[in-house]
Amino acid sequence: MPQMGVSVAEGTVVEWRKQPGDWIEADEIIAAISTDKIDTDVEAPATGRVQELIVDVGETVEVGTVLARIATDARPGEAHVSEGQSSAGGTSEAAAAMESSGEAGELKGDTTVREEKAPARGPRRYSPVVMRIAAEHDVDLEQVEGTGRGGRVRKQDVLAYIEQGGGEEPPMHIESPYRPDEPAAAKTRKPHFDAPAAEPGPAPEPAPAAAGSAPLSRMRQAIGARMLQSLQTAATCTTIVEADLIRIEAARATSGFTYLPYIARATVEVLREYPALNATLQDDTVTTYDGVHLGIAVSLGEGGLIVPVIRDAQELSVEGLAKRIKDLAQRARGNALTPDEVRGGSFTITNPGSAGSIMATPVINQPQVAILDTEAVVKRPVVITDELGNDSIAIRPMTYLCMSWDHRALDGVAAAQFLNALRKKLESWPTS
Amino acid sequence: MTYLQAISDAMREEMRADERVFVMGEDIGTFGGAFKVTDGFIDEFGPLRVMDTPLAESGIVGTAIGAAVEGMRPIAEMQFSDFISCGFDQLVNVAGKMYYRQGLSVNITVRLPSGGGFSGGPFHSQNPEAWFMHSPGLKVVAPSTAEDAKGLLISAVRDPNPVVYMEHKHLYRRVKGDVDGGTYETPFTARLAREGEDLVVITYGAMVHTALEATEDLDGASVEVLDLRSLVPLDEEAILASVRKCSKVVIVDEANQTCAAGAQVAALIAERGWEDLDGPVVRVATPDVPIPFSPPLEQAVLPQVDDVREACRELLEY
Repeated sequence: MPQMGVSVAEGTVVEWRKQPGDWIEADEIIAAISTDKIDTDVEAPATGRVQELIVDVGETVEVGTVLARIATDARPGEAHVSEGQSSAGGTSEAAAAMESSGEAGELKGDTTVREEKAPARGPRRYSPVVMRIAAEHDVDLEQVEGTGRGGRVRKQDVLAYIEQGGGEEPPMHIESPYRPDEPAAAKTRKPHFDAPAAEPGPAPEPAPAAAGSAPLSRMRQAIGARMLQSLQTAATCTTIVEADLIRIEAARATSGFTYLPYIARATVEVLREYPALNATLQDDTVTTYDGVHLGIAVSLGEGGLIVPVIRDAQELSVEGLAKRIKDLAQRARGNALTPDEVRGGSFTITNPGSAGSIMATPVINQPQVAILDTEAVVKRPVVITDELGNDSIAIRPMTYLCMSWDHRALDGVAAAQFLNALRKKLESWPTS
Repeated sequence: MTYLQAISDAMREEMRADERVFVMGEDIGTFGGAFKVTDGFIDEFGPLRVMDTPLAESGIVGTAIGAAVEGMRPIAEMQFSDFISCGFDQLVNVAGKMYYRQGLSVNITVRLPSGGGFSGGPFHSQNPEAWFMHSPGLKVVAPSTAEDAKGLLISAVRDPNPVVYMEHKHLYRRVKGDVDGGTYETPFTARLAREGEDLVVITYGAMVHTALEATEDLDGASVEVLDLRSLVPLDEEAILASVRKCSKVVIVDEANQTCAAGAQVAALIAERGWEDLDGPVVRVATPDVPIPFSPPLEQAVLPQVDDVREACRELLEY
């Protein structure tokens, strides 16, 4: 079990991609594993023939445990161990390889593998812009017909495919879907953070009946353990302020970004003024940080939730944050984050407002001391006061900024001051 | 007004408006210059502001630097851009580094009549702009239209840095356009010569006209042409904006290919435009050979309309 980043202690084998007797090249993927941080692939450390799979699928072992053996002195032309001999057992790995090499010298085994590897047509290669557009719109490029040279997929091909309705816009936007008067028959959005909902039955049953049961996924188990541990460790309190985002909305009108990068940028700036919240608490020791390593919770739909970290977020502009958030979210959904990208945060923002909720009490991401929850932006009538002191009622895009914080590390006044500074920053955002 | 008249007009108007401005060069006085750019100047401004110099480019540039440090705004003419090699040390090492070393502004403009296409042979046809792009402290501009020829020259004269002004000889009397009277400045930024969506040709100088002609009717394709106008500073945002929109790029240089201005553009796109590309960055440039005197040979080495058209067609089909 390889060391995947410093904080991972154990991992579970999810799938073996090779079986004993298969030939494997160095860096070829041999297995898929899952850790409490991340799902990833394991590459073979050496070229050879897979000798033995030691850890079964579903088994959890510590980092450093031997997962499988590869006979590195085998040659691709040799027969499979399984073909060469019945599993005698007790043979040492070197001996097994030697014996098989002695028994069969023809190319039988290997040619089969090679043929399987080479598909009828070569793998399609895509230009950078085509891959970027495909990633942004969740397009499976294999479905796109290419009109370029040799059937190459060109930019206009993937754009035309999207135009016709192919692909899907990923749920990145936190624009409020909150519709208080929506008729009951309207389509319901699936909340991002819920466990898989049961399929509605065709007719109402007289008594509650289970619609199905399944074991918790490894991801759900990990999330559950961490959330429970946080609630049992921290003295969690939640403070809420209300902010008027009309100036952010004006800025968004020109940039086209979601609210999130603006709130992230403002949070980072205010955290620099209130380092008590940009901190971790471990064993009676509070550590505050100069830089802000900003965690952004990314929903993986039914798969769960992951919190990639933007290191030194204070060095990024709104544009830079928008780009980074998008990149991390895409890679999170593509299972392409590295373990070190999901650790080491000093503050976290979670953003379930896209599902329509207007208020929540988030659970602190340990060992951090606070987590900010951004909720749906909703038009509300509010009283505003002009510079002469006259009050009037206006319709403004309002949101609640909900922050859970650890009473062991700080007091309510500090939390309120921080949130108020954040509110002021958002409400005085420069419009240019 | 022709491109050449626009250059004359820029100098004349700026000399009328600012008495610190004067011109100097070989045979520019009584003779009016090899290309007659300063024809009649000596009658209007007199020999003190229209200085004939010895055939010594090093001396011309050096004298201009001295005058600029004393507060003047000299415009030095090289008879052909090729001859600047004799003044290279003064321009690159003295003018280019003066502000860095001593904090002194060297407000000189060096006019370089450049480019081929008229059987000038290897000493009278070169495009040496990349020499100066590679040398910190110098700005390099290269107009393609009469309007920009005037505006960029006035901007160059007013810019506190040494500016190398590439004027293309082949455009002198072939390019005409409406030019405003008086004085006006053209910023050192790129200009969209034509808007398009399917492919962008990025170029400057005489090749802007080659690119426009080559892509005017290209099987119905919508081809953008970006005229860089300024090589230092290079308008990176304009380049990247065109790449973002079109995703396919042809870069045309009349200069020899290796390390030409277009090489810098290609490198920029590779670094910062990668995710917008839908095909390889294609370059059309003069191969790394001297410019031949023989007309058919010269045509064979300089990028022609058909070369650009073929490159665009290939890339569009990719």
